Amino acid sequence: MIRQILGGTLALAAAATIGLGPAALAPAHAQSQDVVVGFVLPLSGGSATIGNQTKLGAQVAAEQINAAGGIAALGGAKLKLIFSDSQSKPDIGASETERLIQRENVSLLVGAYNSAVTFPASEVAERYKTPWIVTGAVKDEITERGFKYVFRPNNKATYDAREQLDAMDLLKKETGKGPASIGLFYEGTDWGRSHAANIKKFAKERGYAISLDESFPPNQVDFTAQLLKIRASKPEALIVVAYTPDHLLFTRQYFENKINIPFGIHSVGGGSEDPSFYKAVPQKAVDYLFVQEDWQIDRLKTDTDPRVLDANTRFKAQAGYDINSYGAQGISNVYLIKDVLERAASTDRDKIRDALAATDITSGMPLIVGYQRIKFDEQGQNTFGHGVISENIGGERRTIWPSANRAADTKPVWPVPDWSTR
Amino acid sequence: MDALTLSFAVINGLLLGGIYGGVALGLSLIFGVMRVINFAHGSFLMLAMYCSYLLWASLGVHPYVSILVTVPFLFGVGYVVQSVVISPLIRRERALVVEPTSALLLTAGVYLVVDNSVLMAFGPDVRSVTTDITYESIFVAGLPINLARLIGFAAAILVAFALSFWLKHSDMGRAIRATAQNRDAAALSGINVPLIYNVTFGLGCAVLGLFGALLVPFFSITPTIGLSFGIKSFLVVVLGGIGSIPGSILGGLLLGVFESVAAQFVTATSAAIFSFGLFIVILLMRPAGLMGRA
Amino acid sequence: MRASFTLILGLPLLVAALILPFVVADSYVVHSAAMVLYFAYMASSWNFVCGYVGQVSLGHAAFSGIAGYASVLLFTGLGLSPWIGMILGGVLAAAISVPVGYATFRLKGPYFTLTSIAFAEIMRIWLENTDEFLGIPLKGAQGLTVPPVGGTSFLAFQFDGKLPYYFIILAMLVGVMAATHVMERSRLGFYLKAIRGNRDGAEALGIDPTRYCLTALALSAFLTGLGGAYYAQLFRYINPERNMGIDLSIDMAVMTIVGGQGTILGPTLGALVLHPVGEMVRASLGGHVLGLHLIIYGVVLMLAVLYFPKGIIAPLQRWLTPASKTTAPQTTVTVATPKEVEGR
Repeated sequence: MIRQILGGTLALAAAATIGLGPAALAPAHAQSQDVVVGFVLPLSGGSATIGNQTKLGAQVAAEQINAAGGIAALGGAKLKLIFSDSQSKPDIGASETERLIQRENVSLLVGAYNSAVTFPASEVAERYKTPWIVTGAVKDEITERGFKYVFRPNNKATYDAREQLDAMDLLKKETGKGPASIGLFYEGTDWGRSHAANIKKFAKERGYAISLDESFPPNQVDFTAQLLKIRASKPEALIVVAYTPDHLLFTRQYFENKINIPFGIHSVGGGSEDPSFYKAVPQKAVDYLFVQEDWQIDRLKTDTDPRVLDANTRFKAQAGYDINSYGAQGISNVYLIKDVLERAASTDRDKIRDALAATDITSGMPLIVGYQRIKFDEQGQNTFGHGVISENIGGERRTIWPSANRAADTKPVWPVPDWSTR
Repeated sequence: MDALTLSFAVINGLLLGGIYGGVALGLSLIFGVMRVINFAHGSFLMLAMYCSYLLWASLGVHPYVSILVTVPFLFGVGYVVQSVVISPLIRRERALVVEPTSALLLTAGVYLVVDNSVLMAFGPDVRSVTTDITYESIFVAGLPINLARLIGFAAAILVAFALSFWLKHSDMGRAIRATAQNRDAAALSGINVPLIYNVTFGLGCAVLGLFGALLVPFFSITPTIGLSFGIKSFLVVVLGGIGSIPGSILGGLLLGVFESVAAQFVTATSAAIFSFGLFIVILLMRPAGLMGRA
Repeated sequence: MRASFTLILGLPLLVAALILPFVVADSYVVHSAAMVLYFAYMASSWNFVCGYVGQVSLGHAAFSGIAGYASVLLFTGLGLSPWIGMILGGVLAAAISVPVGYATFRLKGPYFTLTSIAFAEIMRIWLENTDEFLGIPLKGAQGLTVPPVGGTSFLAFQFDGKLPYYFIILAMLVGVMAATHVMERSRLGFYLKAIRGNRDGAEALGIDPTRYCLTALALSAFLTGLGGAYYAQLFRYINPERNMGIDLSIDMAVMTIVGGQGTILGPTLGALVLHPVGEMVRASLGGHVLGLHLIIYGVVLMLAVLYFPKGIIAPLQRWLTPASKTTAPQTTVTVATPKEVEGR
């Protein structure tokens, strides 16, 4: 019996080598002068495309900063970025956060695109008093929990919805014409449903009727039936919430069916932010498409900042397409971190937190996404964060809202022409 | 709900349903002969779509021409998967009976490996093929009918007929049917049962090779698209009768029309709940399906 | 004897689990170990019915979600301690499992599996798209958050450190193993094995398969529910996609099958081998190679089904208990009855 228990212990030791493998892996200790920044992003699974775009943007920005001498206030320390995969799962995101804090000894964290991951993962960061910069996640509650270490430069979900209606209001004011009814077509997920709920709330306040309220589970294989409903309910403007596969299917079938929606289709990003979306549909199918995103799409044409152009060259070399919204957010996050580290002049987490709270940026690379300012309120929300809405005019996506970002030669087409005249 | 909208919904449901049925043919055939539920069914369709996409993207081969490659390729894949992965299970079971749950788990393993290998090789990006036929529609009584879908529909009907005919009249077909009925008796009468299994599995996948190529002109491709079609195929074969070839087409048509018409009255989300409910009810009430043998 | 084998392997495991947090006082290790225990617990709960009846359910995650939601809602809505909410949630899951099981347990093999997927998917899609049900704020796909009470409170199931969570799940795992042990030796256990071996034969002997299967299912749903409630407290967050989705069901089933169905330690062994695979691939490759751990998962599953149909616990058992050659091998493989063979 004793011999056998010993045998069991032996077997256990073998199992332990497997089981505690990750613990046994020596943490990759950075050079002492490096500043380690951890990223928790969906690098595999459903939202992997987006996670990888943010990752590439962040890498490009870190390359630029390191090549330009690193963090001056820390004696030229280099930024070392560590990426970990959340697989879009809350528990894995939280575990990875734990690992980055404990094993990789990160100074601060960035993540995690999916609201469902960001929510519990940023709570882990708060518990360990490690600053967390939210990227991509829009769930309102993330910055409504009274946390001290969580900061969000980007939009809240409610801002996204408000801006889409703001843009319609602006165009209505400029032309005297606007939709009386709005249709909603969205995926039945956290993102789609909360956006639809926000739109309904604002639409009621502003007197728009909701003529269609249609949700669908992600990854559909056909939208013909839904398009019939859109045709029958005749919304004057249609708000679409969908990721690339569904957005692509919808756009193709919508184009095929040639349904007239006088005040156009207003997409809240997702698929319509994805460069592969535009490669997959003919230009005619996306003419006059309105897209709300955290990135000023026509910026690359007008911007003369060599760092922006260089960032785009580097980004394009690896991705094969220009910087997009998520790439830009990655760049913005890393430049924000540089700004914070210069002011903190320390890799101490609490000092970094205080510097983050004191952030007030009104120019430079952190604003590449199109904000006018980054300044956090006491909940860590950047109240100056806003999206940019573009319209696809003459084969180009031109910014039309806010008017501060609209180029002088951009003339919105409103209402959009009938299919018969296109 | 006016009559025009409804008839349009029905026609589209039929077109899409035919394609569902065609995609499910292989699943039904493999089950009918081997009693194996192939969990990786959708993954093989996805593989065929990537194959067709690659030929289009690298050599500019039209998806319809790529059938010449995708069909033999998928036949090979199916043949190899059966002979390497599944046949050891059959050899283990002395009575030549595949323990159905083990086979399901085994093909679930295949699903994990295939889907994630494609993710590894191609990344998560959405890919799509644009051809002259993508947006081509013909008008029947004022209703637009997408040509690519019509071709898919016609192909499904044709393949179902051809497959039934071949199973009935060719030597190999007869051997397959004999094996399906009683594998021990088939083995005794000199039929090479393992070979029949390999061919059947290959054939089931070859059908997917055809439909993969027929679908790419109008479906975008991601490494996870297989699962959507896989789940639909399960619904279709359960509805129509697992193992029955005409049942597969009938089940597809029913599901297509059901989805299309139901979506006119409720949201697609509720329609999805209803179709799962329908699935459970059919399994409980009539497990053999509409056309299956009890 | 099996009890001694369970002891031979289980005792060192338990001792190791007890001293681990004191040897490596690193909260990442403790957290990861707690996750291994969580999956071991979930797999053991799955094993409680599926492993013994020989039916593969891929819908068990629904029970985890039901009880997790119930415990969180009772806490946020009525201020009921999650400890009580956990039990009530488990009871609710068990209550729902009975009619579902009654309808579906007649189905065999893959039919049962596919039905279980459909059931869980209906629950998930419904929950994701329901903001409010009978006045209860379910919040749809957003998921529910557990409001922090601030600091450590045993009654509120909230602790500052990781250690309490670790020991709670360890105690739960030991509890489910003890329950399994008792069940194995009880009349229920013998009947379940008889049903697994030959359902019709068992029925002919006067065993009512439905009744015993349902009893085991209800217990299993209850145990799975406790795990779901634990998850909600550990992460202070619960959402339908993760806690009711098919991924969790697949994890539970695969870990048990790889480890060894119908055994007390099998599911834990499976979790001990499989969970760290994903963790290691992520930690070492950090998302450079997409989906690699799932490929490994798939390969391990296929190898286990082909070469270790009784799970990896079988060779371990042979190696550790060479003396007891007389021990009858466990009937973990469904024996094809003559009738089935004939039918093909």
